[in-house]
Amino acid sequence: MSPGRFRRSSVAFVALLAFVSSAALAQTPRRGGVLRVGNLGEPPALDAHWTTASITETLTNHLYEGLYSLDASNRPIPMLAESHTVSRDGLTYTFKLRQSVKFHNGKEMTSEDVVASLARWSKQSIYGKALFAQVADWRAVDRYTVEMRLKEKSAIVLISLAVPNNFGAIYPKEIAEKFPPEVKVTEYVGTGPFKLAEWKPDQYIRMVRFDEYKSRAEKPNGYGGGKTAWVDEIRWIPVPEVATRVAQVETGELEFADDLNLDAYDRLQTNPNVRTIVSKPYYWLVAVFNKKDGLMTNAKLRQAWQAAIDIEPIMKNVAGGRAEFYRMDSSLAPVEIAAWHTKLAGLPWNEHNRDKARRLLKEAGYRGEPIRFMTTQEYKWMYDFALLTKQQLEDVGFTIDLQVVDWATLVKRRNNPKEYDVFTTGMGAFYDPTHHIYLTASWPGWTTDEDILRLQAELARETDPRKRMALWEAQTRQFYEKVPVIRYGDLFGLRAMRTVVKGFNERTERIRFYNVWLDK
Amino acid sequence: MSEAAARARWLRRLRRNRNVVTGALIVVLVALAALFAEAISTHDPRRLNPANRLRPPTLEHYLGTDEFGRDVWSLVVHGSQVSLLVGATTMVLTSLGGIAIGLCAGYSRRLDLPLMRVMDGLMAFPAILLAIALMAARGPGVGNVIFALSVVYTPRTAMLIRSTVLGIRELDYVLAARALGRRDLAIALRHILPNCVGPLLVQGSFIFAYAILAEAILGFLGVGVPPYVPSWGNVIASGKNVIREAFWVSLFPGLALTLSGLGLNLLGDGLRDTLDPRLRVP
Amino acid sequence: MTAYLVRRVAALVPVLVVVVTVAFLLIHLIPGDPVSVMLGPDATPAQIHAARQALGLDRPLWEQLLKFYTRILRGDLGQSYFLDRPVTQALLERAEPTLVLTFSALLVAVVIGVPSGIVAAAQPGSLWDRALMLAALLGVCVPGFWLSLNFIYLFAVRLGWLPAAGYASILVDPLAALRYMVLPAVSLGFSQSALIARISRSCMLEVLAQDYIRTARAKGLSPAAVTWMHAFRNALVPVVTVIGITMAILIGGAVVTEIVFNIPGLGRLIISAVLRRDYPVVQGVILVTATAYVLINLVVDMLYVLIDPRIGYE
Repeated sequence: MSPGRFRRSSVAFVALLAFVSSAALAQTPRRGGVLRVGNLGEPPALDAHWTTASITETLTNHLYEGLYSLDASNRPIPMLAESHTVSRDGLTYTFKLRQSVKFHNGKEMTSEDVVASLARWSKQSIYGKALFAQVADWRAVDRYTVEMRLKEKSAIVLISLAVPNNFGAIYPKEIAEKFPPEVKVTEYVGTGPFKLAEWKPDQYIRMVRFDEYKSRAEKPNGYGGGKTAWVDEIRWIPVPEVATRVAQVETGELEFADDLNLDAYDRLQTNPNVRTIVSKPYYWLVAVFNKKDGLMTNAKLRQAWQAAIDIEPIMKNVAGGRAEFYRMDSSLAPVEIAAWHTKLAGLPWNEHNRDKARRLLKEAGYRGEPIRFMTTQEYKWMYDFALLTKQQLEDVGFTIDLQVVDWATLVKRRNNPKEYDVFTTGMGAFYDPTHHIYLTASWPGWTTDEDILRLQAELARETDPRKRMALWEAQTRQFYEKVPVIRYGDLFGLRAMRTVVKGFNERTERIRFYNVWLDK
Repeated sequence: MSEAAARARWLRRLRRNRNVVTGALIVVLVALAALFAEAISTHDPRRLNPANRLRPPTLEHYLGTDEFGRDVWSLVVHGSQVSLLVGATTMVLTSLGGIAIGLCAGYSRRLDLPLMRVMDGLMAFPAILLAIALMAARGPGVGNVIFALSVVYTPRTAMLIRSTVLGIRELDYVLAARALGRRDLAIALRHILPNCVGPLLVQGSFIFAYAILAEAILGFLGVGVPPYVPSWGNVIASGKNVIREAFWVSLFPGLALTLSGLGLNLLGDGLRDTLDPRLRVP
Repeated sequence: MTAYLVRRVAALVPVLVVVVTVAFLLIHLIPGDPVSVMLGPDATPAQIHAARQALGLDRPLWEQLLKFYTRILRGDLGQSYFLDRPVTQALLERAEPTLVLTFSALLVAVVIGVPSGIVAAAQPGSLWDRALMLAALLGVCVPGFWLSLNFIYLFAVRLGWLPAAGYASILVDPLAALRYMVLPAVSLGFSQSALIARISRSCMLEVLAQDYIRTARAKGLSPAAVTWMHAFRNALVPVVTVIGITMAILIGGAVVTEIVFNIPGLGRLIISAVLRRDYPVVQGVILVTATAYVLINLVVDMLYVLIDPRIGYE
């Protein structure tokens, strides 16, 4: 080989080596750094048992863990539990706990902590209450074993212990007993990979790595599996103005911004330092009827609403005018929850049949009384679909009194049947048919239809998956006939992440920052 | 000089003052837009047309459309109604309130001190913050916006009236009228109020301008009139999230606000120049 | 002069009494029961009872008012329901950003406004004068929050020169603090600078027309010396008044600026408190800002006396 050629090829070789090693380095997680995340606002609480609010869900899942978690297919997998056995008659579940798992205060987690925590959860959380309605006895057997005895066979034990929202977080016994279920905890001690360092309301919430965190040995899988806190600190910064959130991730003041408006998509795409993430699903939009009191107790009126609305243009507008940000689907479980997704034909969903609507209005005996429709601008998409719905309904003969309040007021008022007729909200993913809160009598809106409640009870008892699916399809048909709430379409969400953030799992419904590192 | 001649001279000076003329012209223009909003709008400002969202200005939509496809030109034109309603009502209420309180304070030495302390106290509250706090108590809505702004601005008018009263009270012809047995109220109406008209108009123009701006700020913050009611503050607020994609949504109501403020400020400046107290005829 | 000062301070007391009373009345304007609104329908009867007692709502009105006064004098502004801490603490945590913002805006307003006014007054009717006063007029009329939006779009998003929003403490990182403060301070101070410019100009004009100025000119002093040495000092008096008024407007205007730029100050606090129905905090913010205004006016009046000793003898 001539000297020139040798030199050129060695240069090429060195360049190649450098490129490959830097690429490899980029993929190797490294410790350190502060990850700044822009949020919608302040969480109402950092007590997982206390509320179903999404912000609380996201934050508490970094500090606390439950007995089970969800894998990438949305199935329960063990987290703080090591394993479980079920008795032959299906009525006794015995859970073995992992050992040497430490709380943030240095104490070891044992069965007494688990018993106390889930007892508290069972009194306050929607999912806890539903599960423990079937529980006869719940106790510690020995230091690392707990036992749950059921009144009847149940299909929902593991899934209830695995859902991330309003979940059965394990607190130290002292804390679980110190704070009654209806009072938010104000001491934050968990077993999660991050611990709370500082909470300055309206300024930031700082979580730092918990050095004694005992990770599971498996690879990360969905929300569960191994978790490593690579970054030193996660700083959650409340930025209520969405335009500001977008601007701050564009300029690099935030590494991550969630709940962005879809109009910002094009602009963010052009920024080489930002990666856009479209989260599917984000929420599916619903209008919930007050079925305890007032005008909407009349089923024909609800059916008229369902017949009148033309859902696609509403979804398109809410999705920033883009078809790739929404999905039309009548199934009560979205596509991503494959186990419960239904493809039924002939449902009266999105009929946009004005004549039928007018006929139903007449049959309902509606005389134009104003219907109080409550919404908020804090979740912009709620206000958007409410305003568009109002126009469509008024074109058919409804009189809608749109009341725009702040989210905190809406959440308070929706508990009072005298205050409203309909309100807007969005549903996140439900991992089991029995978790669909709008099909229960206790959640605002108060669904008391006998057929619906009967089917829900059967779903809780039946353990054969195929029979459950048949029940679920029957329930779906009941849903569209009795119309407890109006289901619109599925809305996707927009998130933005600086390219220095690596390892982020884009498939989970809500954001998690363990196993994430900064390549800086 | 007779009163009629004095008034004529006064009006001539007003007409010659460029600020007054320009300002008045602008204000009249905005008022006409508000009065004939239906006629000069091209679309129903509340009509949503989602297929047409965020369109730039065209011949069909002079100022473009917003995120719901509503016509911005029609929104701005109708928005003037809310602004003018709030501005005018606030101006009238503060004038009436100010006259009542100012007369009492100027005339009655007993009431003067306590009234003035209360006015001082009320003036200490920053207008927007007090309006927000009152909204917290009473809820959003046009009526509450007007109430909040009136509470905050009345003290200024009251002090103005009071100082006018104090200035005139000791003048010879007033003392003469008193000696003749004329009642205080009659004196007030015949001699004092006419002299207040000038300063009231000046003060009123500025209060009108502040009120329009305050209403827009409250709307922008989401504590003004309901968001689907066309108002300049609401439209600016709805445009702020799409300022990159559709700058026209926030731009035009902002210009309308600026223009109205300009007109009122010019008017106020001009009136103040013309009504120099040294030339006022007793 | 001391007599004047004493009288001035004494006059403060009734004004502050009025301020406190108005703040007290705010919570009573609320239709319905403020406590259940605050705590929400999930509150237990025990919690509601405790809250009523803490707020003193179970006693007659005059007694509540008296208790309110004594609490205020002790510095106790009550407890924030959402933030789970004393209102005083919440206010102290948020005071720094608002103070920094207000003073920065004031600085911008004075630095732009006063020289502009003086320059305009020095050559009345000239191109400079007309241009500056036109700019000032526009400055008064352009809505501050609209200006903020445009500034963010231009300087942060388009040009990338400055951060779009946020706040850094001067005590922690002065350089970052400066960068974050530029856009908010300028958009807030700009409209005030217009007001100051106009008033400075008219004051200077009045002073420059005075006899003693003509005398100074006749004596042969250069125009610059005349302007600066004699006129300026005398024009200072009304300018100082305007600065006092400006502070009040800034305190109110800071609310919107804080929202747009995501600055964690008192303005954002009151908005969140209003949204959360955290009435003790709303009361606290109103009280503190009004008191600040009253005290600032006192300081301004004292400055008056220092600058122009004649005033003290009224």
